[in-house]
Amino acid sequence: MAGNEITVRLDGVSKSFGEFVAVDKLSLTVKAGRIFGLLGPNGAGKTTTIRMIVNITVPDSGRIELFGQQVNPQLQDKIGYLPEERGLYKRMKIVDQLKFFAQLKNVSGKEVEKRIDEWLARLKISEWKQKKAMELSKGMQQKVQFIASILHQPDLIILDEPFSGLDPVNVELLKEVVLDLKRAGRTIIFSTHQMEVAEEICDDICLINRSQKIFEGTLREIKSSFGRNSVAVRFEGGDGVLHDPSLVSKLEERADEVEALLAAGASAQLLLKRLVDSGASISKFEMIEPSLNTIFITKVKENS
Amino acid sequence: MTKFLAVVKREYIQRVRAKMFILLTVMGPVMLLVFTVVPGLLFNIKTGETRIAIVDQTEGQKLFEPIRRAIQKRETDQNNQAQIVQQLNANAKEKLENAGKRFAGSFSIERADLTGHSLEEVKRNLNVRIGKNELEGYLVIPGDILTNTNSKAAYYGRNVGDVMTTDQIRDRLDGAIRVQRLVASGVKEEEIEKLSKTVDLATYPVNEQGEEGGEASGMSRFMLVFIIAFLIYITVLLYGQVVLGAIVEEKETRIAEILFSSVRSLTLMLGKLIGVSFVALTQLAIWGVVFLLITLYGINALAARGVEGINLPQLSPLFFVFFVLYFILGYFVYATIYALIGSMVTNAQEGGQLAMPVVFTLLAGLYMAFVVIRSPNAPFAVWVSMIPLFSPITMMVRIVGQTPPMWQILLSLGIGYLTAFGLIWLASRIYRIGMLMYGKRATIPEVMRWVRQQ
Repeated sequence: MAGNEITVRLDGVSKSFGEFVAVDKLSLTVKAGRIFGLLGPNGAGKTTTIRMIVNITVPDSGRIELFGQQVNPQLQDKIGYLPEERGLYKRMKIVDQLKFFAQLKNVSGKEVEKRIDEWLARLKISEWKQKKAMELSKGMQQKVQFIASILHQPDLIILDEPFSGLDPVNVELLKEVVLDLKRAGRTIIFSTHQMEVAEEICDDICLINRSQKIFEGTLREIKSSFGRNSVAVRFEGGDGVLHDPSLVSKLEERADEVEALLAAGASAQLLLKRLVDSGASISKFEMIEPSLNTIFITKVKENS
Repeated sequence: MTKFLAVVKREYIQRVRAKMFILLTVMGPVMLLVFTVVPGLLFNIKTGETRIAIVDQTEGQKLFEPIRRAIQKRETDQNNQAQIVQQLNANAKEKLENAGKRFAGSFSIERADLTGHSLEEVKRNLNVRIGKNELEGYLVIPGDILTNTNSKAAYYGRNVGDVMTTDQIRDRLDGAIRVQRLVASGVKEEEIEKLSKTVDLATYPVNEQGEEGGEASGMSRFMLVFIIAFLIYITVLLYGQVVLGAIVEEKETRIAEILFSSVRSLTLMLGKLIGVSFVALTQLAIWGVVFLLITLYGINALAARGVEGINLPQLSPLFFVFFVLYFILGYFVYATIYALIGSMVTNAQEGGQLAMPVVFTLLAGLYMAFVVIRSPNAPFAVWVSMIPLFSPITMMVRIVGQTPPMWQILLSLGIGYLTAFGLIWLASRIYRIGMLMYGKRATIPEVMRWVRQQ
């Protein structure tokens, strides 16, 4: 698939529930073969937006196109959707559930069984194939749900918080799979509020807050729009300096270092000088791009 | 269509395979048997002999021997082929008597000699023996019992609450003394049995075309009505709750959203309703075959033991068509209401509470069956057999009792199925939105809004 093809296009889409406006005149485009991060705080309208793309709910106004066509029930078969609210039939065998979910996407037969075996092996849960869902741990169930959403080889894969509740080893495992799917030419919409993961795998992002879009573009674009005006510092002593609002507009503390976003008119030179003057012992001082998390929080604050 | 079939298939296979289904299928007939036959059997089982003394005050104690014979009279050759045939042809009263004879315990009778003792003395002795548990009781026959119609016999016993035994003694004593009174007034003993045979009343149904049907026992028809009404009631209730459970499960386990991203809500709900209906029909079919086998082979076996009393009314094939049509109607009306409730609530418990009025409505239909069977063509019966919430039971009762005009049946079916479709449409709209609402039970105004919502 060529990089410029568009898989999903939303044009002025709105959706309200009674008085509450969940999505307000949202427009966005998801390019084929890329990973698109749909980011926003809780209640921003991410899930409602996705439900409209998947044709579970219908927008009040605006237009949604998938693969160049207006959304319709037939297109559901070309989408794989892993919702945030997800589950399995407790008393049904894993292999039967997977076959059932594939049938619901109009895929059945020998080929599916082969694919089920391959995927179970890849996600290291083969020995659970004949077990009932209630016997599986939550993490294992989540992997089964993930398989269910991609078993029919959809062109568009929508993952809503796919890594929540997984241990780091499994997060890494699934991340690999997602990147492989992208390499295979699939388009992926990845919805999350975990910015670290989004930063690692997304090509494009769309930031929504309070039912409106506040930014859309490539990860590169958003980062460079903020410029290299953050500093990562590891030091001891001289605490007060970083809390001076004329120097630092935003401070994010990590385990052993801090990320400081420079205030307008302040420079890294000045910050370094003030730290040295205050008698701090500095072991790291590096100009960096702001993290997506910092950008996210700043943007959301500006917007509110 | 593939998706629809996948939903139906999953629903069917998963449920038919479940232990619960197998258990219920086996236990259903067993339970029916337990609740209908066993209490009767238990009541009839008498352990050991009942020891009775007879104090005969008549002249020469001439009544002792006839009374002893009457009380101890039992069928001796139970397995005699001729007797079985005779029992098959016996009327209901005789059958009941035969059954009683079969199941009642035996009696041992002794004579309490009055010669040389006063009645008081003899009674005192007997009372002591009852106290020592050497006797269960004794009969006192007054001397003028054959001539004075106001004269009373008396029974003194440890356990006068054993109604079965005292009834048996009363009946047999009554028979014996009446025969002896007739003999005393000059009737020949061998004539008496012939002349006092009970009169049979045969019942024949007449339909609205004025045609007579074959002989049919009113009792067995009533039993059939009861069984059918109860069968529809229990199966609809049971499988309505299965549908409620299925829907709440998909909501509780958060599976609904995955499903809705692949299937349209109406397809999903219909698939579910139809899948479960096949489960119900499978169960009914299994039960049906079991009942058929029981009636075919069991009746003879039971008859041989004297519990014969089942005389199946003739049923036309059309009756079975109506049964299936009304069962399906009842199922869809109620299961859809259950589905609607399932989409409004957050867990099974809440669903159970909200479903209480539904259970009562269904139960009301069952009670109406008893009114309807007594006058199947009265205005009340006609009206309730038109209301889809009641018609599956009440119209079936009318069809068994006294087949109503065809136009009434068709009208009731028409109204019923239209209502069912309307309900399904309504429920699917509520289902579509309710299934994605988590956390709290929906209010009625909310549900109304969902119905209108695009």
